[in-house]
Amino acid sequence: MPLTFHYKQLPNGLDIVAEQNPDAHSIALGLFVKTGSRDEDQSVNGVSHFLEHMMFKGSSRYTWQDVNRIFDEIGAKYNAFTSQEMTGYYANVLPEFTERALEHLSHLLRPAIRDEDFNTEKKVILEEIAMYLDDPGHRLYEKLMDAHFGSHPLSMSILGSPQSIQKLQRDQMARYFQQRYGPGNMVLSVTGQFDFDQIVKLAEKYCGSWPHVDAPRVQPMPTHKSQKIGMTDEKLNRQYTMAMMPGPSAQDDRRFAAHVLADVVGDSDGSRLYWALVDNAIAEEADFGFYPHDGCGSFYLALTTDPARTEQALKIALAELEKAKNDIADDEVERARNKIASGLVLQGEIPLGRMRSIGGQWIYNREYRSLEQDMATLSAVTPQSLKQLMRDFTFDPMTIVSLGPGEKSK
Amino acid sequence: MGDRYFQHTLRNGLTLLGERMPGMVSAAMTLLVPAGSTTDPLNASGSATVLSDLVLRGAGSRDSRALTDHLDSMGLRRSSSVGVQHTRFGSAAVAQRVLDGLEVYGDIIRRPHLPESGFDAARDLALQALAGIDDDPRQKLMVKLREWHFPFPYGRNSMGTVEDLERMTLKDVRADHASRYHAGGAILSLAGNIDFNQIRELAERTFGDWDGKAPASFATRPPPGRVLHEEQKSEQTHIGIAWPSVPETDPDYYTVRMAVEVLSGGMSGRLFTEVREKRGLCYSVWAGYSSLKGSGSIMGYAGSSNERAQATLDCFIAELHRMREGVTADELERAKIGLKASTIMQGESTSARAGAIAHDFFMRGRIRPLDEIKDAIDSVSVDQVNAYLKAHEAGPFTIVTVGPKALNMP
Repeated sequence: MPLTFHYKQLPNGLDIVAEQNPDAHSIALGLFVKTGSRDEDQSVNGVSHFLEHMMFKGSSRYTWQDVNRIFDEIGAKYNAFTSQEMTGYYANVLPEFTERALEHLSHLLRPAIRDEDFNTEKKVILEEIAMYLDDPGHRLYEKLMDAHFGSHPLSMSILGSPQSIQKLQRDQMARYFQQRYGPGNMVLSVTGQFDFDQIVKLAEKYCGSWPHVDAPRVQPMPTHKSQKIGMTDEKLNRQYTMAMMPGPSAQDDRRFAAHVLADVVGDSDGSRLYWALVDNAIAEEADFGFYPHDGCGSFYLALTTDPARTEQALKIALAELEKAKNDIADDEVERARNKIASGLVLQGEIPLGRMRSIGGQWIYNREYRSLEQDMATLSAVTPQSLKQLMRDFTFDPMTIVSLGPGEKSK
Repeated sequence: MGDRYFQHTLRNGLTLLGERMPGMVSAAMTLLVPAGSTTDPLNASGSATVLSDLVLRGAGSRDSRALTDHLDSMGLRRSSSVGVQHTRFGSAAVAQRVLDGLEVYGDIIRRPHLPESGFDAARDLALQALAGIDDDPRQKLMVKLREWHFPFPYGRNSMGTVEDLERMTLKDVRADHASRYHAGGAILSLAGNIDFNQIRELAERTFGDWDGKAPASFATRPPPGRVLHEEQKSEQTHIGIAWPSVPETDPDYYTVRMAVEVLSGGMSGRLFTEVREKRGLCYSVWAGYSSLKGSGSIMGYAGSSNERAQATLDCFIAELHRMREGVTADELERAKIGLKASTIMQGESTSARAGAIAHDFFMRGRIRPLDEIKDAIDSVSVDQVNAYLKAHEAGPFTIVTVGPKALNMP
């Protein structure tokens, strides 16, 4: 599996990053844009995600029927996603369809945003919001981000609210597009089987005329305070609890140690929280993880429990976090490193996963890291690095949010 | 079978399958043990699920923690789940690690401690997972749809029932292990960077003296009815529709698969186009082929906010009826390309291939080379699809809804 990296910047500022794998059967292409809900202001909350939907509604040349039909004509696995910080559009196709896939992605990113389509798609967005309201985990996460980040833009909901979506106008969306979708704010990520010279030529042909736009992002430092918030919904059976505390950012070298720590403390198998809470069924799920963001980052804790066991489970989980600060051992770090390394090997074999990883990495750091580099960095993580990490990030302040049935519980 | 595939049934009835995948560093294992929800003892539904947890709590010379630590130190990415016909164990990592892990899986399957200390926790976790279904209306819908569509015991919920789990004892579960964890009907598949002689030796050494045969399935009886409404105070009404189709071994199988692709393959599929794109009635709408040994079904889903759910159901059913008018040559061409592309791309994932060859063997008694699948897809003609659709109208439908109000049935 010899992987080769290629890079080229087009004159209009579009970066092309590519990892070639001659053993792959397919090619994955993705256009990633450094924009998301954190780049919105309150009056247009939800516009990044709504715009992502509108990209599939046609350009000056294509209708929405054409967009969907053409992707299906080339047998593409295709989709798009929006996060707080990034929006991505991608297609995974057989190598013979490389040009058509890239051409089509390029049309996707020059949307017409027609009024009629805008009004129909608004209904779909409202349905998506309703669907997530039936998911307690999602409601909890939204409240957690809102409370933890307060006035920082990372607190903004990705989907927006039914009210903000209802109010949103077509021209506000068009303006947001013009301000954020410049080629200098994007990367074309390509992995799998391809000829790089051909990729560059095609990118020039289809994306070379996109005008440059300055799309700065405001980077305030978040301020946090310890707080505990309860949410009641009497129709629920279970109690869902999350906590969030500051952690390393996506640019911080300590992020590698943070991933190892997350595995040692919170992996679904064989982690400290597993043995302390799930092995004995005090909690159904107990997860500890790491979300790196642009310029800041978070650790999180997530518990699913019987309502009557929530306090006990939370107390045990927090005690485990305290304990971890002092007694991480060699063998558990080694196990975590081995698990993460296996994940990297498996990801490296599948173009779609690797394309997302490389594109995302570039959006945050303008940096390519080979699997070998990641492996080497990983093997240098020791119990000492985790100890230092937890001296730098002490799990304080902490935002705790819990959602459950309230009084009806036993 | 050439250099790529390998199939060998041991004297005890366990079948070993292999697929060599050039260029891969990893390997993946799928191990199917003949303990699925259909053969959970009467009055002990959920038993296979409790067992699938309990067998991991110590086996062979290792106690629970030593076993987990050992698998983690090899960096194995693991999974286990209970399906209709089998309990499935999976692992993936760099190839040699997966082969090393096989011996440990021999202990897990054949020499689990099934400890008293772990039983209460395993059963408690199963009860907690069951309680969580009510908080997730989409999951609840799919459980109910299976129960109301398939004849007993094929529609049994692998998560069990509260009554059965509450009365289950360690003695019952140990007896169930003795009765169902057997070589006869078990399937072990490995895909990736493997050597056939080596895996054959390993399988003989690990499982060669395993014996026995799992009990036959229970006599079937029809499901309770065809229409069910479960009242729930949810934001959306969740709609599930199922109807019978041909089994995978039927000569019309690919004809049916093509028709289902036209209905709900890519985003140009009819359901997505009519229900979501044209009318904006929902975010999620789909239908897919679902297979049991000897029978097939088509199952579909849509979720819409409550006041629009009736329009969604009506539109969904109208599209199913419209299928009898036939598909166009363009639609069929897109369906073929889509299905062929996903078949080829499956060849990039060792886990996907290990799962696919095990499934193939269970359903058909042999592995089908990828070329045979591609040829079968190519051979389907428009006339064939249209003649089939004319002669076989979709139905009779099982329709389940979860939401605040029942809908008018078609």
